[in-house]
Amino acid sequence: MTHHDRPTALELLEAVTEFLAGEIAPALDDHRLRFRTLVALNALGIAYRELAAGAGDTVSPAPGAAPGAEDALRELAARIREGGAPPDVLPLLKEHVAAKLRVSNPRYLDAYEA
Amino acid sequence: MIEEALRERLGPVTGLRQLAGGASKEAWALEAGGRKLLVRRAGVGVIHRDTLTLEQEFRVLEAAHAAGVKVPRPVEYLGELDGREAFAMEFVEGETIGRRIVRDPPARLPEQMADELALIHAIPAPDFLPGGDVVARFYDELDSVEEPHPAIEYGLAWVRERLPEGRERTFCHGDWRIGNLVVGPEGLRAVLDWEFAHVGDPVEDVAWPLVRAWRFGADARRLGGVGDVEPYLERYNERTGRDVGLDELLVWEVLGNVKWAIGCLTQSRRHLRGQDRSVEYAVLGRMAAEMEYELLHLIERAAA
Repeated sequence: MTHHDRPTALELLEAVTEFLAGEIAPALDDHRLRFRTLVALNALGIAYRELAAGAGDTVSPAPGAAPGAEDALRELAARIREGGAPPDVLPLLKEHVAAKLRVSNPRYLDAYEA
Repeated sequence: MIEEALRERLGPVTGLRQLAGGASKEAWALEAGGRKLLVRRAGVGVIHRDTLTLEQEFRVLEAAHAAGVKVPRPVEYLGELDGREAFAMEFVEGETIGRRIVRDPPARLPEQMADELALIHAIPAPDFLPGGDVVARFYDELDSVEEPHPAIEYGLAWVRERLPEGRERTFCHGDWRIGNLVVGPEGLRAVLDWEFAHVGDPVEDVAWPLVRAWRFGADARRLGGVGDVEPYLERYNERTGRDVGLDELLVWEVLGNVKWAIGCLTQSRRHLRGQDRSVEYAVLGRMAAEMEYELLHLIERAAA
């Protein structure tokens, strides 16, 4: 197994983030380009949080399934479409989506706690 | 090149500049023949499913104008402009950026929105407008994403059991919300972006600006970040003779969240499938979870 040298993947993402936020964004006058740069920073932030959280940890279990199994999500989705949603599935779905949000946009959940 | 093409159609052109805005359509501001115009042109490459061509959109704009709806006056369908379809309309001054509008919304905006929507729903529908079953269409679009989304499925199943049948179908704007309205200090000036016009249940439009994403952070004002829902709904009912209730509106608000979640997922596929590579489209795939959470929250609250 290859052991990579530093910077780690997370440290590389950090370095690019600092470069875009610190040097590129402030130098941009074109508002469309500036907006896209902020979007790119957001994308890097998502990738950073996902890696930092550890692979396989980001999609929470569907009922009766192993964590992160896409097949289980697919099966659950099909059951719901057929009208056979498991009872009390709603809190589980909320937790599944909340786990995605903790990576994609952690602050989004704040509005629901107020 | 576009300047040359415009000169051929509209005569001498000055002050041509591209405006920020939609990714699927370009917008150009210019002056020609002593008038300020806005030229709307197709974006590069991609043709959306279920959106109108620019020629059809221009016909819809003409129909809206003829029906007395506040719209930029349609000027001319330009055909292909440097390889892509375009049309020209009057440029209406005012604010269109949602975040700025919700900072200090005009007091009369909610009732003006109700009045305008009542007029829109009375526009005689041109026969080229699509008009399929909305839930079936969302299932198709969700399947095209090829990724399991049980939360969206849950929303669709919940809506499917509750959508009232038998409401008459009318002309619908299809993207009726803050962000597609030109607003001045006195209120509503013009309704833009008619590319999603279709025939359907008018309550779809009534509820669309309630969707959290279209409140632009001003969550306390449930109508698009600009006002309360009740006066808007009451006024709409008064103007149309309909009897839309808050429960019915909630069903469409949940469906609105489903619609925007699926919209995010399908747009991210344009990047992932190489039709339109862009970091903006890419990140939308991760934004769908926000609408998923909101629709589960709405359903949970409705059951409580």
